[in-house]
Amino acid sequence: MRTHLGLVMLCVMSAAGVCSSTSAPESPRQFDCRSREKETFSCWWEPGSDGGLPTEYRLFYEIEKGVRECPDYVSAGENSCFFDKRHTSFWAEYIMMVVATNALGNASAQFQIPDVMNYVKPDPPVNVTVVVNSSAPSPFLEIRWKSPPNVDVRTGWVTPKYELRVKQNDSKEWKVIDIGAQTFFNFHNVEHGLLYMVQVRCNLDYGKWSEWSNTIFAKIPKHHQLEKYFWIFVFVFSLIPLLTAMYILVLKRKVVKQCLLPPVPGPKIKGVDVHLLKSGQSEDVVNALTGNQNFPPMAAWTEQVEDFLLVSDSDEWLLTDTFASEEKKDIFIIPASLHLGLEIQCGDSTVDLNTWEKTDDSKEETKSNFLNTEPINLPIEKQECLSGEEVSIQPNTSYVDIQQRPTLTDYSRVKEVNGDTILILNEEEIPHGSDAVKVKREVSVPDDYSRVKEVNSDVVFLEKGDSKPIMPHDSELSKGFCSKMIANGYVDSVPSFSVK
Amino acid sequence: MSSMRAASSCTNGQTGCHFLSLANLFDRVIQHSARMHGISNDLHSEFELYFLPSKNQIGRVSRNCHTSTILTPNGKENAQRIAREELTEVILKLLVAWREPLWHFHQNMAQHHEFNNFSSNKSLEMSDMVHELRRGVQKVVEKMQMLGVISSSLGNLASPEALLASDRAEWRLMNDYDLLYCFRRDSNKIQNYLKILKCRIVPEHRC
Repeated sequence: MRTHLGLVMLCVMSAAGVCSSTSAPESPRQFDCRSREKETFSCWWEPGSDGGLPTEYRLFYEIEKGVRECPDYVSAGENSCFFDKRHTSFWAEYIMMVVATNALGNASAQFQIPDVMNYVKPDPPVNVTVVVNSSAPSPFLEIRWKSPPNVDVRTGWVTPKYELRVKQNDSKEWKVIDIGAQTFFNFHNVEHGLLYMVQVRCNLDYGKWSEWSNTIFAKIPKHHQLEKYFWIFVFVFSLIPLLTAMYILVLKRKVVKQCLLPPVPGPKIKGVDVHLLKSGQSEDVVNALTGNQNFPPMAAWTEQVEDFLLVSDSDEWLLTDTFASEEKKDIFIIPASLHLGLEIQCGDSTVDLNTWEKTDDSKEETKSNFLNTEPINLPIEKQECLSGEEVSIQPNTSYVDIQQRPTLTDYSRVKEVNGDTILILNEEEIPHGSDAVKVKREVSVPDDYSRVKEVNSDVVFLEKGDSKPIMPHDSELSKGFCSKMIANGYVDSVPSFSVK
Repeated sequence: MSSMRAASSCTNGQTGCHFLSLANLFDRVIQHSARMHGISNDLHSEFELYFLPSKNQIGRVSRNCHTSTILTPNGKENAQRIAREELTEVILKLLVAWREPLWHFHQNMAQHHEFNNFSSNKSLEMSDMVHELRRGVQKVVEKMQMLGVISSSLGNLASPEALLASDRAEWRLMNDYDLLYCFRRDSNKIQNYLKILKCRIVPEHRC
């Protein structure tokens, strides 16, 4: 009997022991929900202890009116409930009750979901691509992605916004960029030769952010730098032959010049020596150019000369202007006895004299026989020829007063220079000063009466001889020919002009 | 507000031009509503710091918003199924219903100095926005009616207040926290309904 009782006790106790190791389940803990696309949602709970017995979990929810049971326990996994579109209501409060039941009892817990909108958390973006764009001036990453596939953008129900982050492979900090609603981005802050990691995530209507997408790696190639160096290298090396060529060109510029610009062959005129032209021997030049032609006789000019040359109404002023006209018409056609140097020096004054002629057409004037007779407006340096003299010209009166050195014989006037004769007028013969060109000159003729050809009352005809004995030294002539000539009273060497 | 393409830039083609400007109007009101919802969200979060209500409270905490009487579609399908006029009316009703409560809420905020100026400014902004948004939506409705997009049966737009006249006192019973919670929810509704409406009427324009 006792053994029976003992056995029963043992059995009861063992049974009790078995029972104590199993119990009613604990109520579920932790409850969380998630909507991936703002159209459906799922909820999960964490089960408590199951009491050692198989435990069944059921979920009941109440929304506005009526209590319903979870439509789908399977789709979302263990201890979950999936609410499809028909069963999802936004802006409505869900009261969830999870009941755990086993053989020994049950336990429940209540969870409140005020608004499923608060639990919207989308999937990460898909098809994230990163392309390295190596175009100048610097490379950048072209990042593209797509919204999660279960998100309906077409109806406007959902507006995803994106966020992007980039970092170097060895760096620790991410650079986060807020993108907005677009699905692409160009990231410029990259350097050559580095590896970069890119991730994208999104959220729906300011809900919770999704997880970061898969990491995409992108490496910026290095060779572009090398390419840059390569071109610098090529450039520098191509400069060297260029510089060398230029150096050679500069050194041998004469040779190059001769090669590229051959000298123009000089004129080949018979009898003309090019060098002679350069050295400036006037006689030879003239001879060369004119070919030693004989000029027409001087007499042929006289008529014309006479037309031009009249200083006053009186006949006393018959200054031969053979030279004048010659000078006027062709500066270079001068008697061989004359030195060309004179012309060259004082030649430019003839132009002004010509102009002076034209302005005073009304008067018959004879310009000074002196080549150096100049209008007042001539610059002073042109009066160098008259170094020994002073020429005062009064254009109104056309009165040229020439003062000469008093050393020589004073011939107050020259009447006419006719070819190789000189007419010298007396001073008293000048009727009036206005039209007269008073010429005072000293002619060394009295010293050399051999030249006197004829004396006619108050006119002394001088034979114009070779100017050379009378003329001063040649060198002096070239410099101050005019003055010297004048000093010597060699009037006809000076052109005289008359204006009608 | 984001920059809106000027309606005046459209010079050719009457019908296409009007639709373009209607799409622009929609964009503007949608952005306006998004901003309004953002502010209400911020204010609600700030209030949670003060009141510290526990999440996942066991037991029903009744939040009877005064707008609960307005029947609103609770999801995408429902919002797409109901008629355009009905959807538009819902939006307008919501906007009208919140005009006065938000104004009083702002007055309360200004008086209570425990709230900082930041919150006070936000409440003022929120109150102004709901008024502006209602005017904007009314313009959209007029345009739609002019284009014949929706029927002119919405004749009682001028007096939706009449519908809620009897409910006017209800919102006074709500405390500030509940008021903010309710408005956060309703502003989200308004934003979503406007987006659905736009893509139903002008789907070619960024939908």
